[in-house]
Amino acid sequence: MAEFDEVNRKITIKLVYYGPAQSGKTTNLMRLHDLLAPDLKGEIMTLETQNDRTLFFDLLPLGFRTPSGWLVKLKLFTVPGQVAHDATRKAVLSRADGVVFVADSQRSQSVNNAEAFQNLEENVQRVGMDFSHMPLVVQFNKRDLPEAQIFSENEIRQRWSQTPWPLVFSSALVGEGVRETLFKLLEQVYPALDRLFGLQQEHDVGQQAFISAVLGD
Amino acid sequence: MLASRLLSALYWGTELEITPLPFDRDLNLQELLAGVSLERLGGILKALLGGDFRLLGADGRRLLGSEEPYAQPRRAEIHYDLDLLGQLESASADEARLSAAAAMIELMLRLSARYHMAAELHIETVHEDFAALQQKHAAMMESEARYKALSEELEARVREQVKIIESAQRQLYQAEKLASIGQLAAGVAHEINNPIGFIRSNLSTAQQYVSKLGALESVMQTGNMAQFQSAWKEAGIAFLLEDFTALLGESVDGADRVTKIVSDLKGFSNVDQAEEEIVDLNDNLRFACNMLAGQTRDKVELVMELGDLPKILCFPGHLNQVFLNLLLNAAQAIVDQGRIEVSSEVAGSEVHIRISDNGCGIPEMNLDRLFDPFFTTRQVGSGTGLGLTVCRDIVQAHGGRIEVKSKEGMGTTFTVILPAG
Ligand SMILES: Nc1nc2c(ncn2[C@@H]2O[C@H](COP(=O)(O)OP(=O)(O)OP(=O)(O)O)[C@@H](O)[C@H]2O)c(=O)[nH]1
Ligand SMILES: [Mg+2]
Repeated sequence: MAEFDEVNRKITIKLVYYGPAQSGKTTNLMRLHDLLAPDLKGEIMTLETQNDRTLFFDLLPLGFRTPSGWLVKLKLFTVPGQVAHDATRKAVLSRADGVVFVADSQRSQSVNNAEAFQNLEENVQRVGMDFSHMPLVVQFNKRDLPEAQIFSENEIRQRWSQTPWPLVFSSALVGEGVRETLFKLLEQVYPALDRLFGLQQEHDVGQQAFISAVLGD
Repeated sequence: MLASRLLSALYWGTELEITPLPFDRDLNLQELLAGVSLERLGGILKALLGGDFRLLGADGRRLLGSEEPYAQPRRAEIHYDLDLLGQLESASADEARLSAAAAMIELMLRLSARYHMAAELHIETVHEDFAALQQKHAAMMESEARYKALSEELEARVREQVKIIESAQRQLYQAEKLASIGQLAAGVAHEINNPIGFIRSNLSTAQQYVSKLGALESVMQTGNMAQFQSAWKEAGIAFLLEDFTALLGESVDGADRVTKIVSDLKGFSNVDQAEEEIVDLNDNLRFACNMLAGQTRDKVELVMELGDLPKILCFPGHLNQVFLNLLLNAAQAIVDQGRIEVSSEVAGSEVHIRISDNGCGIPEMNLDRLFDPFFTTRQVGSGTGLGLTVCRDIVQAHGGRIEVKSKEGMGTTFTVILPAG
């Protein structure tokens, strides 16, 4: 749940990159750090990794100031994808305003994707959020890998056709689709924030302005 | 929110002294400096800046350094990520030194933030694990309690059910006994009526004879022998005396028959406290057949072929019940007109008693279940279905068995087999 700090005139929004181990969550955050140019951009904080695998989380803070002088701060988190770290995953997920599910496009990873997605659904409920109303984008990553190794776009679209979430195909390694993914998530997050804090009315920030300010274009 | 905090604080009380705070909340300058020795930091800053300084929080409050505000201080902002956390003020240091000192503080804050987040995330997960464990434990206790209650309830219900079944069974046995005693009573009434009937008519004849003899008394009183003799002849006293004797003899026989019936009846009436007796089973069969014949004379032709049997030690009352029961079944199997054959014989070391009818027979599928308690092919209400069960129990108690052969539409034969010795 986004925080509204009247004293410091600050709105804090939490977005979480979720998904199976090694799907490219950390890579997404690193690319975003390089690609985005918002008013305010913090450094990536990586909390402990072991052989490239996240143990706690990564955090990338982004932000901008509204015409009304408020600070809108987005905290982008990644969770550890390894099954064993479920308690940490759940703690990081709690209070999220939106989620990117980073799936691994490799055929060999379809079971891991499915289990991680189910785990997301369970944990969302465990931390007391409503899965059916939670802003969510599904990203299929590693599109740069050889065709034989990955599911085709058609296959994936067909499989997910009955679901309401936007699908983005990406290659985080080279930075493709990373920005679009965040864009699609912000599109879903904005209406809820606007309802809660009157972004348009009180702070003169419309949806387009909001998204451009975060992405920095 | 506050209430739940309090609650969870109470709940954790002794187990875990820490109530977790969200690991991802923004920390202010004071919180981030919580782990740092402010005295040492103050000394270092003083040395770096070449004199007094003031460290202020975002709200302008002094955290460290001189208490007195400066008239015209140099200022450097202290940021952590996107947030402005405070200011470093100095009256003496130049721009470069001041911003270098602020940058150093920022570096320190970053490390401190890392530590805070990691520690608080850790506490949150431990807390979570512990809560999950507690929950699991509570759920387990609850399910165990539920299971215990359920099994107790089940046991009680089984006991209750057993009690009901036992009492129902006792009642049914009792009802079955009463029913066969009722049948018996009808047969007995018929059997007794017959001798009583002719005893009654003999007695009224005897009354007439006595009054005739009384009339001769007055003639005899006159002393006129010739007159007395002619009156004697006229009254046919010679025949009267002869008939009187025969009539009394007949009546004594009748009374004996009643006595015999009554004593046979005892075999039934005191079934419960019966004693073993040595009897000729043919007598019991005859008696049971007589009982039946009394009721079914116009419907059933009863044929007896009784061979010589050794006397055996048994509960005759109980066996009478078996025979009567089988005979009643046989009679019931006959719809219109039919025949029941009762035979007895010795076969090796066994006594075989066969009761056959040429009635409707029993379907093959029912044969196996014939002796099951409460199994009945008759219409609901006309029998408890315990009759054959009781028969089998009685025969088994005598060390014997009952066999049945039947063909639908042809008839049924029950064979009671008892040890001869
Ligand atoms: N080919 C290819 N490899 C990728 C891509 N994105 C990430 N990777 C690689 O996949 C591996 C795992 O990436 P990470 O970003 O660390 O994965 P993660 O999801 O953070 O993994 P955990 O922290 O264990 O949950 C690294 O070797 C990345 O270089 C991609 O788009 N294409
Ligand atoms: Mg990672």
